[in-house]
Amino acid sequence: MSKDLVKKVFDKETTRREFLKLTGKGIAGFAVTSSILSMFGFGEEAMAATALPEGLLVVDRSKCTGCQRCEITCTLQNDGKIQPFISRIKVSENYNFGTSGPKMNYQYEDGQMGNLKMAPVTCKQCREPFCANACPKNAIVADPNTGARVVVKDKCVGCGTCAEACPWSLPTIDPETNKATKCVTCGACVKACPTKALSIISWEDISKAHFFSKR
Amino acid sequence: MNKSYGWAGKLLRVNLTAGKITTEPTSKYKDFIGGMGIGYKVIFDEVPAGTKAFDEANKIVFAVGPLTGSGAPSSSRTNITSLFPSNPYNAVGDSHMGGNFAAQLKYAGYDAIIIEGKSNRPVWLKIDNDKVTLEDASKVWGKGIKDTTAQLASVMGKDSSIAAIGQAGENMVNLSVIMNGLSHSAGGHGGILGSKMLKAIGVRGNRAVNIAGKGRELLKLNNYMMKDLIGANNQHVVPSTPQPWAEFSHKGSRWTAREGLTWGAAEGGPIETGIAAAGDVNRVGYRTMKATFDLGPSAEKYTVRMGGCQSCPIRCMSQLRIPKLEEYGLSPYVANSCMGYFSPQRVMFKGNKDIEEKGDGKMFAAAIGASLADDYGVWCNYGLLGTDLKHGYESGIFKKVLPADEYNSIPWNLLEEKDPAFLIDFYRRIAFKEGELAHLGDGAYWVAKRWDFGDDYWNNVKYGLWSKLGFPKHHSNETNGQVGSLISCMFNRDAQSHTLVNLVGSGLPIEIQKEVVAEIVGSPDGIDPQLNYTPMNEYKARLAKWAIIKNCLHDSLTLCNWMWPMTVSPHKSRNYRGDLALESKFMTVVTGENYTEQSLDLAAERIFTLHRALTVKNMNTVDMRNEHDGMTDWVFDKDPDIKAFTPGTDKMDREDMQVALTMFYKEMGWDEKTGAPTRATLERLGLGDVANQLAKLNLLPA
Ligand code: SF4
Ligand code: SF4
Ligand code: SF4
Repeated sequence: MSKDLVKKVFDKETTRREFLKLTGKGIAGFAVTSSILSMFGFGEEAMAATALPEGLLVVDRSKCTGCQRCEITCTLQNDGKIQPFISRIKVSENYNFGTSGPKMNYQYEDGQMGNLKMAPVTCKQCREPFCANACPKNAIVADPNTGARVVVKDKCVGCGTCAEACPWSLPTIDPETNKATKCVTCGACVKACPTKALSIISWEDISKAHFFSKR
Repeated sequence: MNKSYGWAGKLLRVNLTAGKITTEPTSKYKDFIGGMGIGYKVIFDEVPAGTKAFDEANKIVFAVGPLTGSGAPSSSRTNITSLFPSNPYNAVGDSHMGGNFAAQLKYAGYDAIIIEGKSNRPVWLKIDNDKVTLEDASKVWGKGIKDTTAQLASVMGKDSSIAAIGQAGENMVNLSVIMNGLSHSAGGHGGILGSKMLKAIGVRGNRAVNIAGKGRELLKLNNYMMKDLIGANNQHVVPSTPQPWAEFSHKGSRWTAREGLTWGAAEGGPIETGIAAAGDVNRVGYRTMKATFDLGPSAEKYTVRMGGCQSCPIRCMSQLRIPKLEEYGLSPYVANSCMGYFSPQRVMFKGNKDIEEKGDGKMFAAAIGASLADDYGVWCNYGLLGTDLKHGYESGIFKKVLPADEYNSIPWNLLEEKDPAFLIDFYRRIAFKEGELAHLGDGAYWVAKRWDFGDDYWNNVKYGLWSKLGFPKHHSNETNGQVGSLISCMFNRDAQSHTLVNLVGSGLPIEIQKEVVAEIVGSPDGIDPQLNYTPMNEYKARLAKWAIIKNCLHDSLTLCNWMWPMTVSPHKSRNYRGDLALESKFMTVVTGENYTEQSLDLAAERIFTLHRALTVKNMNTVDMRNEHDGMTDWVFDKDPDIKAFTPGTDKMDREDMQVALTMFYKEMGWDEKTGAPTRATLERLGLGDVANQLAKLNLLPA
C-alpha cells in the first residue's frame, strides 16, 4: 500500500471510527497492534515506513514497568543512535523519584525509590502548542500529513526556548547536534513496549489523553 | 575525535589517594571486549601479587561493554571486578548489578571506571558527563543506601543513577554489596569501597551510544529477538501451565503468566498477566510473574507491577506494596527477585509464622529481610549467611564462642517463634559488626575457621557448601551432573553462570535439549536426563566450556547471562531452536566490524583463561586441581543407598570427577595435571605478557 493510499484510508472518518471500534475496549485499553493494522492492509514494511495517522501518544502508567525500551526505540527510530536523554517520551529521568525529583518523604512519592509507580510523560500534541508558539524561528510546525507538531531541523537553532515553554519540558536539545527533538507520533515506542502501556489515540480525544498521561 | 561505535571509547581512572581523575582510551582493552574482560586485565596488570582485598594497593573496576546501553534487550549490567574478601586467598571475583547504572555510565561516555588508592575522608564520585569530581560524603557516611541515593540524587539531578554502599560496606563487612536503584545489588565488593572511603558513584549521561549500522537494522534485530527468540526469565520457553498456544508446559518454568493471575495491587485495579503467547512482543513483560513464583500465592494481591533493568523486557523483579511492613518500621514498598527474597528465609531457618493470613509468613520474612539487607547493604553469600547462623545456633557452637551477655541479648525467642522481627536485630548486628556474632559477615570460610566448624558443617548435604574456599553450590551437580559441577569449581565464589541452567530449566523435553546440545558440542551425550547421569565424556567437558565462556562473554559485552544466550526459542515453528549467533549480529550492527559467534567465543575464552591465570597468581600456586577445584564430600556421599550413575541420584563419583577435570583442562588447553594455563595456550590467546609475568613468579606449569 502506498503512503498516499494509507493516508487516504485513515482520512476517512468512518475508517477511523471503525478503527476504534475494532479494539472493543474504549480508549484506555486501546493499543495499535500489528494484527489490527494488518486488517487495514498494513504489512510490517508499511508500518515501518509510514507515520501513524493523526493521533497522540498516551500511556497507562499502571502498566509501565520502567524498562525504558520506548526511549531506546524512539531514539533509534528518529535519531539513528541510542540516547535516552533526547527521547521524546520521558521515562528514565523520572524513574527513581518521579517527575518532581527526590523529596524528604521520597519513600512515599512516585518512583522506583518510592511508591514504585512509574511516571512516563508523553507529548500532548497540544492544540495550541506552547513549544511552537514560543519558538523564535518558527521551527515547530504541524506536519501536513499527520498533524503532529514537528521540529524542522534546518530552522532549529537549538536555543531551548521550546523546552522552556512546554509545561512538561518535553522538547529536548540534543547536545550532540544542538537541535531540538520532540514527539512526532511515529508510534515506534508503542510497537516496542513489552507491556502495552502505550497507545496512540485519535487526536480528538486529547482531553482524555491528558487524563491518562497525568503528570 | 573519531566517532566510537558501541564502545564509548574512553575509561576513567580515579586515584583516591591523590584525588586525581584522568581518562584513558578503551582501545587497549579491545581484545578483552569490556566488562569482566577489562576488570581482569586491570587487576592482573596493576594489582601486585600478595595484595589483600582491603589493602590500598587493591583496585576495583566498574566496567560495561560495547553492547551496554545499545538497546539490545537485557544490556544494562555493570560488572565489578576486584579482589574478593570472603575468599580465603582474596582471589579475584566479580559481582554484577543490573538497574540503570550501566547504561547511564555509557551515556556519560565511559566504558569503565578504575578506582585506585584510598581516600582519607569519606567521598563520593560525581560523574556528570565530562565533569567528573570527587565530592565530600561526610553527610551521607553512616546512612543506608536508600537515603544516600535520595540525597545524592538531589545534588546530581533526578535523572542520575547512584551506586552506593550501606553501613555494611562502610564497616568493611566481607559480605556486603554495592547497589543501585532500590534492589540491584552486586554482592561481595561493598567493603572494598568502604576501605577506600568511597561511599557512592553517581552518574548522569546525556550522550549517545553510537551505532555503525542503521537504526532500522538494529530495530529489526531487536524485534527479531523479541518475536522469535525470547522467552521468560532465565529464558524459560514453555509456560508453567498448559496453554492453547503451547505444545509443552512445565511446572518449574518462570513463564508464569496465565489467565486469572494478576498484578493485584496495580494502580487503578488488578492487571491480568494473562496469555502472553510466544511471538507477542507487547506482552513479553507480563510473562514472568515472579512475585507469586518466589513468594507464594499471598503475594499476588500485593504486587504493584513487575520491574527490572534498563532495556530488559523480562521484568523479573517483583515490586510489592505491603502496608503492614510499616509496623516493622519499614517502608511498605519493596522490590527484589530470587536470592534477595530467599536469603532472609534461610536466616529464618525455624520457619515463618503466618502474619495476616495462612501461608503468608514466607512472603513477610522475605520482604522484611530484603528491605533491611538492601538498605544496610548486607550480602548473603548466595544464602550461606543464614546457613552459617543455623549451624552456629543448632550445633551449640554459639553458646561457646559468643560472650554470654551477647548471646543472651540476641532475640532467639523471635527466631523460635518464627517471628520475622528477628531479622531487624540480625541484619543490624551484621551491618554494624556488633559483637562476635557479626563475624557471620566474614563469609563461610572465615567463620568456619574462627569457630571451628567441622566436617558436619562442610559435608552437610542440606547446607550445600560446594567448595572449601567458602562458597555454596549455585546450579551445580543437580544441573546436568558433571557439567554443572565443573562450572561450579572454576570461580573464586559461587558460579554466577546461567548458560547451562537456563537450557536445562527451559521446560523443553530432554529429547529436544539433547538435539540442541548435539548441535553445540557434537553429540547428544553432552547432556543427560535429570537424576539419571552417565559417567564423564568429552562432550560434557565441551558443554562446560561452552557454558562458561558464554557467561564470560555476556559479562564483558555486557548482557544479562540470566537471559542470554538465546539457546532455545518458544516457537515450535523454529523447532525450538534459538540463535547462538545473536550476540555477534548485535555486535556487527553496533560496531560496524564483522563479528562471528566464533570470534566472540575466542575472546571469551581469552577472558576466562585470564581469570584462571589471575587465580594462579592470587593463590600463588599452579596446583589448581588440588588447591582450587576441589569439592566437599556430600556431593559424592549423598544418597548412600544409591550408586552414582544410576537413576534417582545426582551424586557424583570421586574418580569420575577427576576424569572430568582432566577432560575440561584439556578442552581449555590447560595443563592436564595441575589445571593451570600453559604458556602455549596463553600465547595462542594473545596473552604472552601474562605468561611472562607468571613465569617471573614461577607460576607456569612444568
Ligand atoms: S516501553 Fe512501556 S513499560 Fe517500558 S518504560 Fe516505556 S512505557 Fe514503560
Ligand atoms: S512538546 Fe509540549 S508544548 Fe509542544 S506539543 Fe508537546 S506537550 Fe505541547
Ligand atoms: S511516538 Fe515516536 S517520536 Fe513519539 S515518543 Fe514514541 S517513538 Fe518517540
